[in-house]
Amino acid sequence: MTASWKQLFFQILLLVFCRHINTKTPGPTPPPLVADSPLPTDVRSAILKGESHTEKVEVVNPVNLTLECTWAGNRDKQPNITGLWRKDGEEIENSLLMVQLENEQYNLRRVFNIVNEESLGNYSCLFGNEARIDFVLAAPHIGEVRDKPIVGYVGDTAVILCKMEESKPKPSTWNWYRTNGTNKEQILTAAEPHRYKIVNEGEKTKLLVHNLTEADSGSYYCAAVYPIGTTMGHVELKVITFFEPLKPFLAILVEVIILVAAILLYERSRSKKNYAAGNETNDQSNTLTQGENNESEGSSSMRQRKV
Amino acid sequence: MRLLKKNMPPAAATKLGYTPPDGGWGWAVVLGAFISIGFSYAFPKSLTIYFKEIQEYFSVSYSQIAWVSSVMLASMYAAGPVSSILVNRYGSRPVVMVGGVMVCTGMVLASFGKSIVHLYLCVGVIGGFGLAFNLQPALTIIGTYFQVKRPMANGLAMTGSPVVLFTLAPLNQFLFDSFGWRGSFLILGAIVLNCCVAGSLMRPVNKTAGQKPKTEPAECNGAAAEEAATADTGAQSDNLLTEENQSEGRSQGCVHRFIDVSLFRHRGFLIYLTGNVVMFFGFFAPVVFLAPYAKHQGIDEYSAAFLLSIFALVDMFIRPTTGFLGNSKWIRPRIQYFFSFAVSYNGVCHLLCPLASGYTGLVVYAVFFGLAFGMVSALLFEVLMDLVGSHRFSSAVGLVTIIECGPVLLGPPLSGALVDIFGDYKYMYYACGVFMLVPGIFFFIMHYFNYKRLDEEKRQSMAAEMRTCEETVQLKMSQDEKADG
Repeated sequence: MTASWKQLFFQILLLVFCRHINTKTPGPTPPPLVADSPLPTDVRSAILKGESHTEKVEVVNPVNLTLECTWAGNRDKQPNITGLWRKDGEEIENSLLMVQLENEQYNLRRVFNIVNEESLGNYSCLFGNEARIDFVLAAPHIGEVRDKPIVGYVGDTAVILCKMEESKPKPSTWNWYRTNGTNKEQILTAAEPHRYKIVNEGEKTKLLVHNLTEADSGSYYCAAVYPIGTTMGHVELKVITFFEPLKPFLAILVEVIILVAAILLYERSRSKKNYAAGNETNDQSNTLTQGENNESEGSSSMRQRKV
Repeated sequence: MRLLKKNMPPAAATKLGYTPPDGGWGWAVVLGAFISIGFSYAFPKSLTIYFKEIQEYFSVSYSQIAWVSSVMLASMYAAGPVSSILVNRYGSRPVVMVGGVMVCTGMVLASFGKSIVHLYLCVGVIGGFGLAFNLQPALTIIGTYFQVKRPMANGLAMTGSPVVLFTLAPLNQFLFDSFGWRGSFLILGAIVLNCCVAGSLMRPVNKTAGQKPKTEPAECNGAAAEEAATADTGAQSDNLLTEENQSEGRSQGCVHRFIDVSLFRHRGFLIYLTGNVVMFFGFFAPVVFLAPYAKHQGIDEYSAAFLLSIFALVDMFIRPTTGFLGNSKWIRPRIQYFFSFAVSYNGVCHLLCPLASGYTGLVVYAVFFGLAFGMVSALLFEVLMDLVGSHRFSSAVGLVTIIECGPVLLGPPLSGALVDIFGDYKYMYYACGVFMLVPGIFFFIMHYFNYKRLDEEKRQSMAAEMRTCEETVQLKMSQDEKADG
């Protein structure tokens, strides 16, 4: 009972100070923030309904993270069950323990020190051999990056953009890398200022590559640097010469010229035929109209006479 | 008398001085017009795919890049009178071919562009003028080739717009992925050159064939009354209003060289113009905001884009259908009412849109809106031809487009401002609905009076003709009697 009062107190603290924290699960406790420890603490909880469940946790700064798992159990609710924690598939030492059935639920909880990039990964809590909840700890993922290759032209400039979603926290800085064989080499603008230019604007970054050559084609990586680690985004650049689009252009140009010439020539040949035939029909139509006039006069006069 | 009717060409063609073929090569001309009109309307819309990359490349804001489309549309409408003058002088074919070459040049130059202003000039101004040189002549030449089947021909030609848009959208995406924006502009320049092919199909109509023999007794046999069902109200009204005949005799010389400003005294033309100016404020905005509105309702991006595809598909099929309906003998004599109905229906559709809830509601709205939009588009130029007649259509459409330039450009930004001010799309839809319903009702009322006046004038002039016919027949009779006796 006292535990739930403490949780309620922290809940009020949370509402007052930390309204932007977003817990995606209907967890029993909202995460409290206590300021008097060297590392901030955070709590993430998940309730398992079914076989397995995956929870994505975004980590920006180093934190003491408490992960809580709750399982309602299966049909035959045993009083004790083994609980285990794993990181990236490997069992964490000394994490195996027996879990009691409390309030028709099994609870597992453990505190983890997330301090650097190696601490990030896939943490799983297992109940016996049956139930598992995964927590995927990662730095914020880069939202907007082009998945298809960017096309640039020789001698022109290419602009490669990476953008973090506006709802996510801004990275401390951005770095750019390009692959050289298998290694990723950082692009340093100081080394070649007339070739590369990096523009960092908070949640977006732009890499400008001037005077493109075909050797510039390849993979480029933008890295968003957070206190906890970096996330990478991959963009591919393809450099082509101006002759590439010129080929379809010339092909279509030729097609247009052929069609126009064909249509105009056809028209000219038709009109020559008509001109030859036209002289004959002109005489015929003249006699016809005369005949019509005679007829019309005849019938109208006949009508008049009838009336 | 039956014999005479068969050999008799329609009396309404008297003002044209020849019988339009209503078929034959005319259908090839419709194909050419299909291509030209398609490119004119669909090309500016389809370029929006490239805007994001161009925006990043030149480091400009979205509104600056959107100006490219606006400048292109503005040039296309503003160049209307120039196009009309050239068509009056040289005919459709040379103007369309020059237009095609202009757009091609504009796009090729733009592919080498080094600044956003370069794009405004090349794509916007040169491209826009080139498209105007495609649009006007294509519409005009249909009027010269078709009389009886003209609504059908117009409906088919206007179908070019959604069909070309449907084809260009995925094609542009493919070109962009393969060649980036510069290469795509180059290739698009070549694709647009197909307008020259369309232009080569636009053979000037043969005005010497099937010339109406000017036999006065034949007219008196009531053949004129029989053909009233299939004839233009416009051509007839021009025929019968004696004062207009006189002024036209004077301006005949001017028409062939410059633009026919006497149209501003034409009753039907003024009705059309005032209604259209108001209507265009609310015509295009709902199309522009369909996808954003859907996303605002919480629908994901792909389903929102699918709404636009539904709209385009319905639009594509309703345009020839409307043309066919407009050609039927019940609707053709009173086609202005059909147009008024289409405009009002558009308005009602928008007013009811805020009631649509969820994705199915929006799909239903997209279908009905597609119907409405297609109907108005198919009839838009047909009713103008019907009012002023084919021979003055070229000048009329030039004047109409330059005056419509304002509402067309201001419509979407004003609607966008409405959305921003109120934070809700429904006020924009109410505004658009009102902007379409009011002209619709206006058209109904004004055309009711216009038709009454036209019928009266027709009756008066027919009575006058009958009198002169009887006199000539009596004269001939007396001559015959004298000859016999």
